[in-house]
Amino acid sequence: MSDELIAASNLISLLIEAQEDALATIKAGNKPESELRLQLLGAKSELTRLTRQIGRVPKEERQKIGPVVTEIKRSIEDALNAIATDAPPKNSDWVDVTTPGIRPPEGHLHIVSQAIMEVTRIFERIGFTRVRHPEVDWDWYPFESLNMPAHHPARDEWETFFLEYPGKPGKDPHKQKIVLTPHTSNGQVREMEKGKLPIRMINIAKCYRRQIDVSHTPMFHQFEGLYIDKDVSIGHLKGVFDHFVKQFFGPNRETRLRPFHFQFTEPSFEVDINCGICLGTGNLANGSPCKLCKAGWLELGGSGMVHPVVLRNGGIDPDIYSGFAFGWGIERTYMMKSGTKLDDIRLLYSNDVRFLEQF
Amino acid sequence: MNILVPDIWLRKYLSTKATPLQLKEYLSLCGPSIERIYGEGEETVYDIEITGNRPDAMSVMGVAREAATILPRFGLPATLTGDPYKEKVKFPTVKKPLPLTLKTDAELNPRWASIIFDNVTVGESPEWLRHQLELSGLRSLNTVVDITNYLMRAYGQPAHVFDYDLIESHKMTLRASKKGEKLITLDGKSHTLPGGDIVIEDGSGKLIDLCGIMGGENSSVTNNTKRVMLFIQTYNASHIRKTSMALGHRTEAAGLFEKGLDTELVTPVLMQGMTMMTSLTGGSVASNVTDLYPKPFVGEQVSVSRKKINSYIGVIPDKEIKEILVSLGFTVTMHADTVSVRVPSYRRDIAIDVDIIEEIARIHGYHTIPSKLPDHAPPVTMPDPQLQLEEQIKIRLRDWGYTETYTYSMISEEQMDQFNLDKTRAYTIANPLSAEWMYMRPTLWPSMLATVKTNLERVKNGKFFELSMSYLWRPGDLPAETPMLLVAYTGDKFLEAKGLMEALFDLYGIPEPEYDTTAHHDWLDPSRTLLLKGFGSVGLLNTTLSKTLGIHSPVTILELNLLAFAAQAKAGKTYIPVPKYPSIIEDLSFIVPDKFEIGRLLSAMRKAHPLVSRVSLLDVHKETRTVHIEYQDPAKNLTGEDITPIRKKLIALAEHDFGLTLRQAAITA
Repeated sequence: MSDELIAASNLISLLIEAQEDALATIKAGNKPESELRLQLLGAKSELTRLTRQIGRVPKEERQKIGPVVTEIKRSIEDALNAIATDAPPKNSDWVDVTTPGIRPPEGHLHIVSQAIMEVTRIFERIGFTRVRHPEVDWDWYPFESLNMPAHHPARDEWETFFLEYPGKPGKDPHKQKIVLTPHTSNGQVREMEKGKLPIRMINIAKCYRRQIDVSHTPMFHQFEGLYIDKDVSIGHLKGVFDHFVKQFFGPNRETRLRPFHFQFTEPSFEVDINCGICLGTGNLANGSPCKLCKAGWLELGGSGMVHPVVLRNGGIDPDIYSGFAFGWGIERTYMMKSGTKLDDIRLLYSNDVRFLEQF
Repeated sequence: MNILVPDIWLRKYLSTKATPLQLKEYLSLCGPSIERIYGEGEETVYDIEITGNRPDAMSVMGVAREAATILPRFGLPATLTGDPYKEKVKFPTVKKPLPLTLKTDAELNPRWASIIFDNVTVGESPEWLRHQLELSGLRSLNTVVDITNYLMRAYGQPAHVFDYDLIESHKMTLRASKKGEKLITLDGKSHTLPGGDIVIEDGSGKLIDLCGIMGGENSSVTNNTKRVMLFIQTYNASHIRKTSMALGHRTEAAGLFEKGLDTELVTPVLMQGMTMMTSLTGGSVASNVTDLYPKPFVGEQVSVSRKKINSYIGVIPDKEIKEILVSLGFTVTMHADTVSVRVPSYRRDIAIDVDIIEEIARIHGYHTIPSKLPDHAPPVTMPDPQLQLEEQIKIRLRDWGYTETYTYSMISEEQMDQFNLDKTRAYTIANPLSAEWMYMRPTLWPSMLATVKTNLERVKNGKFFELSMSYLWRPGDLPAETPMLLVAYTGDKFLEAKGLMEALFDLYGIPEPEYDTTAHHDWLDPSRTLLLKGFGSVGLLNTTLSKTLGIHSPVTILELNLLAFAAQAKAGKTYIPVPKYPSIIEDLSFIVPDKFEIGRLLSAMRKAHPLVSRVSLLDVHKETRTVHIEYQDPAKNLTGEDITPIRKKLIALAEHDFGLTLRQAAITA
């Protein structure tokens, strides 16, 4: 016998053919049962010949074959028993039903992929479509176009990686410097430039910042929401956030806005979510203070109404259209939800299989 | 920026019964965010985050001003006391003033104010001052320096002092520095200036102040100082910013000046400083005040349409709009369609209509605005098929037993070298954080193999995949971000990797790619290399590379360019009628020569005749290959006679085109 491999699916189809042949032969009814039994199930039967090929199926797939053979043999036995005049009482084979079952293969999606899929679905439900914009971009999109000219102190918030220019810069003032995007907000003006209104987008991408510690990795992911239409209000922004947190974190979760400042939104907000343990009261049922949140609320991320300068940079008239935007960390948001108790975000990118296989 | 504000200090300017917890809750909802409260009672200190656009609030007075507006909205009466803008500013006239000659530049220094004191005793500050500074996180040094720090924290206006006798010829010239000029700041650090920095030189031409950042060591006040010049200024914000960043010298003063300070606050603070200097150091005023302020402040007029206010926030009564804006210091005029305000000198962040909307909305309270989903019609958009395909493939791979990895997009120079990648045609990080992350990876191989290596001992039959961008070189342009799928198996799993590729191509209705079995791949073993024209490759890692990487067992790789792949993917499946008539199956065994590539024979047979519906490899035994063939006619029952000519054709194909010998033919049904 050859030791070359054959695919499980091929062997199974041969086995099924053999089964069909055998059942047809029994049905034809021109031979006695005992002779048929030898011919169809004996050592020289086609079924036995095929069964011996199992060793050539790749190890990982072999477990698929056993149940098929058992089932085929049983069906042939049953057919033979049915035509036997002197058949013995039905003798069902004993099976140890406590034997561990045969499981399907188990793979694992990384937490980041799981979170991205979940976030995408939640926003799709209210008409936001996922798009992709560059992770490596001209300085213009993540900074200048967002109302942050060179040397502006607001840029301090982002420890930005710059790239060596590939060759010599041309004359285009918007194409002088290349950065690793420190946030997904570079997608805002890029999305506006597509020239279609209204806009409801979710941009999910890798981001980069020059920092590493237990809560920062130099690469991470953000999801950026952008909604632009006529008469977009702060109330709409709250509605969308409430939709998201209820779907993502649970129906009794709520958001609140606090004043903040970003150059590319006005007004700007810090978005908090009520603590999942004490639901925003800061106290547990027994009156003791909640240890998770300290004051009832946890910071989710930043957001705001799109700044008129940004709208203009995207070719949109701020006197006709308004909108809101937000950009939150995928890893951070997911860790707040799952209660994974992950105390070091760097684990996510360590790619230790003992970690990856837990999810 | 965060500042520490002691409760006792805050209540000097704010008269209220609000408790620290109430202050924290209500200020955070409508104004500066009180992030933490430290200590209790007299020792209570607030840790407050002030956003970069609000230098006016980066002080005890600034926070008190916000609180006086916000607390009453929550039913807690509060009033501001000691507002420096409302205090009387009157400086004494000195009969024999100490001389001072100065020259400044209104562009760099919009307002200069200074005054000189004689008979100053520099000593230890009184207990209350030391205590307040310490609670605020400022170190007490001596009376004079403590007064400057007190003024900065109290009003958000940095102050500086010179030893008057160390200013050569009592002459000061404020100017932009020239590149390469040198100066030692009073912390003992020596700086070579980049040029364009705001500096002051004295009569001897030496630099005595790095303005807005830190004073010079050569003119600083010591315990022996008798005559002190107190100096309150505002500067051109972007010059301060550039110098501070270029020198990496970040001080609290620089953090304030670079945000643009209020010229109208200069003399009120000097007035406070004068009072403190005379009462705490025993010094007496020895000069008239110098106040150079060529372009006095004119308040901006900003309007916002009622329509826009309603659209952003909802309908708010006139009375409330007016109340809110007046309480924030604006002069308000209500018109039929617009609200117009004159901006107070300390609110330079207010420049356009939405800035006013923010002020109304936050004091009105974001928490009072009803939350509702947009009721506009959603746009009609098509989902990006590339993103859909990538997500589907990830899910398939998970369900087929693969484990997904996420590695950093940046790789090291060592990794670039190990794979012999061209560093001149890769995107290089100009300011790397670590040598580990220097280049944007042009391929996922180095990262994936690093993952495989670290996991070799931990897992048997590892099957990993990553779906991420490679960053391909485009001169003068952004990288071509190309989504790549890289699958790695521990062990020699060539057929498994190839099978996965086949399954993916089948799934998206893409014809199997043209195989190139002879071409060379830098990283694959020639005995197990299959290049998939335009799509990628399947193969076993070659020993040269695995030795370089220190991987001492076989690794199999499948690489697919998912951009190329998605471009060929079929959107849906086409229905093929389920056969009404049975098929005929037969196995043909052939004897094949050494190194025979069976894939070519199978493809040729599939195309040989329309009634051949399936061809697969059934058996491999020594030099024999058994091919499993299914004949099917959708229109009728096939008979042995029907297939005889087809069989002949297939055998002829094998014998003539491929040089094989028929060994056996067996019809099954």
